[in-house]
Parts: sequence; C-alpha cells; structure tokens
Amino acid sequence: MAVKPKVAFFDFAGCEGDQLQVANLEERLLDILAHIEVVSFREIKTEHSDDYDIAFVEGSITRPEDEKRLKEIRENAGILVALGACATIGGINCLKNFINESEYRSTVYGSSARWYSTYASRPLSAVVPVDMDIHGCPIDKNEFATAVKELLLGKIYTPPDYPVCAECKMAGNICRYEQGQLCLGIVTRAGCKACCVTEGSFCWGCRGMAPEANLDAAARIMEDHGFTRLNAQDRLRLYFGCTDRAFNPG
Amino acid sequence: MVAYIVYLQQIPELLHKWSSSYDVYVPTRVEEHFYEFRPWQEKTHIAWDYDLAYSPLKVFFMPPREDLIHFDLHNYTASPVIKKTRQLLFGVHPYDIKAINQLDQLMGMDGVDVNYQNLRDNTVIFGLEPARVAETAFWAGVDAARVDFGFDLFWTRISPGAFLVRVGSAQGEEMLKMGSSITSATAAEKEAARRIHLRAAARADKQGLGFTWTQVPEFMNKFYSRKLYWREKAKTCLSCGSCNLVCPTCYCFDIQDETDDHLKQGKRYRQWDGCMLEGFSRIAGGLNFRPNPWERYRHRYMRKGKYIFDRIGELGCVGCGRCVKACTAKIANPKVVFSEIREAIKNEA
Repeated sequence: MAVKPKVAFFDFAGCEGDQLQVANLEERLLDILAHIEVVSFREIKTEHSDDYDIAFVEGSITRPEDEKRLKEIRENAGILVALGACATIGGINCLKNFINESEYRSTVYGSSARWYSTYASRPLSAVVPVDMDIHGCPIDKNEFATAVKELLLGKIYTPPDYPVCAECKMAGNICRYEQGQLCLGIVTRAGCKACCVTEGSFCWGCRGMAPEANLDAAARIMEDHGFTRLNAQDRLRLYFGCTDRAFNPG
Repeated sequence: MVAYIVYLQQIPELLHKWSSSYDVYVPTRVEEHFYEFRPWQEKTHIAWDYDLAYSPLKVFFMPPREDLIHFDLHNYTASPVIKKTRQLLFGVHPYDIKAINQLDQLMGMDGVDVNYQNLRDNTVIFGLEPARVAETAFWAGVDAARVDFGFDLFWTRISPGAFLVRVGSAQGEEMLKMGSSITSATAAEKEAARRIHLRAAARADKQGLGFTWTQVPEFMNKFYSRKLYWREKAKTCLSCGSCNLVCPTCYCFDIQDETDDHLKQGKRYRQWDGCMLEGFSRIAGGLNFRPNPWERYRHRYMRKGKYIFDRIGELGCVGCGRCVKACTAKIANPKVVFSEIREAIKNEA
C-alpha cells in the first residue's frame, strides 16, 4: 500500500461546523482514515504537526494577521482545500462588510474594541490560491467524503456549476416561486441536492453564486413575484456578501 | 375495439389485486393546484380530474439518478445493474403516453438503452382521458390529444360512477379481468366515451397552436440563423436546466463514477443532464460548443421543433406545458416560440 497522505485541518473565522460535519461521518470516517493520516484536527485530536500534504481550511479571513498564518499553511500544503462557505465565499461573516467598522467593532468587542484588529471578511482565495472547494454552510458530509475519495484517486473534485433549480427538479420539489416564496436557488451553485427546499425551506444561497448565474434575470424574477429590492438584498447579503465593496469601502 | 365498463366502487378491489404484483402509482393532489403520481395505498385519494402531473413520468423509466455498473477496483471486474421493477402507472394522460412512446423510439435507436428498456418493459400503463386542461398546456395543437397505442388500458369516465375502459394489450385485459363481474361495454357506452373525448379535445383545442404543427420544422429551420431573436429570448435565461429536466421527452444524462469508502468497489451512475446547462456541451480541454445561453436556448427549441422531427416524424414536444410552468424566468414556452417564429416568417413573406 502506498504511503498515506498526511492531512491537517485548520480554522479561521467560523463556527467550526464544517469540521463537525466531518466528525459526524462517524463510522464512515474510520473507513476513510484507513487511507489518510490525520496529523492535525483540533476538534477530534490534541496532537499537531506541520508536516502535511493536504490542508482542509475552514473559516474566512477577517484580520490582517490571518493572512500570514494562511500563507504558512499554503506553503506547507501540497493541496489546499477550502472547507465550507466561510472559506469558499467568505460566508456569513461578510455581513459585517456592509456595516460601518466602528459599529461592528463596538458591537462585538464593546469597550475593548481597540485591542482587536479586524478588516473586511473574505474567502481564502482572496489571499492564497485554493486547489479545491467544498461548498456549503455547513458542508454536506457526503460531499466531503466524495471529495476526499476523489483526491485519493488522484482527482480534484469539481462541484456542480449549475443552479440549485436543477437539483430541485431531480428531487421533485415544487418551485418555491410557484408557492410565492423568495428563493435563491435560481442563482446558487448546486451540489447540496437542494436539501433545504426538499426539507420544506427555501434556498439560502450558502454554496455561493453559480459561475454562470444571471443576476439580471434573478432581479426581474424576484420583482415579478412581488419582492422588493430590500427583500432581495437582505437575502443576498447573507451569503453573497463578499463583493468588491469589501475591499473598496467608501 | 374491445371495451369494458368498470364502476368506481370496483376500482379499490382491482387496485388491491394489482398492487400485489406491481408498484402502483396514481395521480394525487400534493397541494392546491399541484398533482403528482404517488404510490397507491389504501387511503390514497385518486385525483381523477388532475390537469397535469408536476414531474414528468420519465422518472419511472429513467430515474434522476440511476446506477448502471458496479465495479471492483482490485480485480478489475464490472457487472451491469439492471432494474426490472414491475410498475403500474394508472391514470396517464394521452400527451404523456405520447411522450413515453417517443422515448421508446429514441431510447431504442442505434442500440437499445437496456436500463430504460428493462424498466419500460416491466411497466404497465393505464391511460386516462383528461378531465381538465392545464393552463400552460397546448397538447391539442401538437397532435397529442389522442394516442392509438402505448397503453395497456385506456380509461374514460363516462359518468360520475363509471369508466369505459378500452383495451390496448392482452396484459391490460387480463389485469382488468382480475376484477369480479366486469362487463363489456355497450355501443351506447362507447359512444358516450367518444363524445367525452371530443368534448375534452374541443376544450383543449382552445389552447392549441393556432396553426398546424407540421409547419413547425420548416419555420425552425428558417429561423436558425436569426441570432437577434434568440439572444433577445434568452436574455433572462438562468441556465438552470429546469425546462430540460421537467420535459417528458428530454432524456440526456451525464455519467459519473463513485467509489465506496474502502476504495475497493464502486459504481458508475447516470444522472439527468440538460442542454440548457452550461457544462453540458463543455468538452475536454475546456472547450464549449454552446458557451452562450442564447445558443443553448436555440438548441433546445431546434431539438423540440426540428431535430426530433427529422428523426421520427413528430415534434419533440407534446405540449404538456411543464416547462412553461417550471421556467421561473417565464421564457420557456414552445407554443410562444413556434408562434412568434411563424408570425415573423409570415410578415416577411
């Protein structure tokens, strides 16, 4: 048997829910662990090593000093995988990009705000090259397992690039727009098997924008269905918040 | 024409008998204005007056995701996975039967699709005269208001409590005779069914094309190079593939491999795909034959209006109206596209 690739998990600003999803694989994780050696994963083990081939990185970059640490990880890792919405698209942390800095600083840190550094939240790819994305908030553990198996077979996993609508059709879901609801599935990257809609909710957009998303069309559709610009904006900012504005405030 | 009369109260007994050897699916109301074929159970309320099943019935012959091959990575062996589930679809409208007939031809051309064929061969189809026409439907305009084959039995509700059942196959007749005291239909009852069909067809005609469908292929051919038209139509296309996936005659799929967690065994599966999706026509090296939404949009209508016609002599559209409903941008509408193109050509002449 070939040498097992060494794998490490890291996290930046995020809830560590994606690593929890990995831990949630339970018995399946044990089968996968037969093929890899986990050298660092603080959610399930205490040891740590800087000798690794594959780095799974969760969380978004929200402080200047995060960049240095991420660049070190990039340096050490042969393959860097962005794990979850915060890492792939900046995630929910980007909500702060739309709020005045002094306001969110004092909201979060109160009177100690000046002790902490912070800047506009951004995905890993804004700082270092990323080899593979595992989308979602949280990630789908099955998709994680698939992606790891692809890596072990020498392939890079490519998530679907079409909108969630396609997966809703495969799941036999009734379109949320037909039910008069606002749904971001029309512009969101699929790969989640339309799980939120299937379970009765609507698409929140956690996998980020589909590469070919037609936002002009989406705007018209939302308007035609009676949603205001504010309705759409509130929904879109939740996950689609990492825009150019984050880096060019003003 | 062999025909029988079945009374409403005889149907539960028949369904019981059929369900012992078949997975029985019937139209049911899933929520207000939405109907789906769902497994029949004792308490299932059959929506005899449904207008359209939300999902296409191709799900029964080529499910959204289906295993094709199981393979072993260590000894390099592979074996086909072929499902032969015995199913009964009870209450299928003529346009959907026409779509299945079309799939039968296309999936059997240039080599049989064994996965499709095995499910199809094990499926019994009981047709049903539509009591209502969906708002978005135009099947009367594309020669899909009536089918002469493709069903084992065809049911027409001739009174609130009685159905006239035409026989389409020996198997259908055999299944009908599993019921106790099923009587043959009289000439008057056959006439009643004929009138009901005419009435349904007349209702549907009001939502037809407004011209004969046989002209469509020629129109499409003439309009192929009108980029301005196609660009304008596809401006709000989301490239989401919804129109493809709900289409009862679209059959394209993608094939992928997946291994188990031990990396010892794996399976090759196919999953629905559609020509409106950007990645559909992308090939090795990243090249894409149809990189723009308008090219994909045009391609889909060329398929429906011409290419399928060139192969089998009928339109690739049965007028069910599912795509019209499914398209959130409201640009998928074969009736509108065919009519607009006809109008434009007429004005140029």
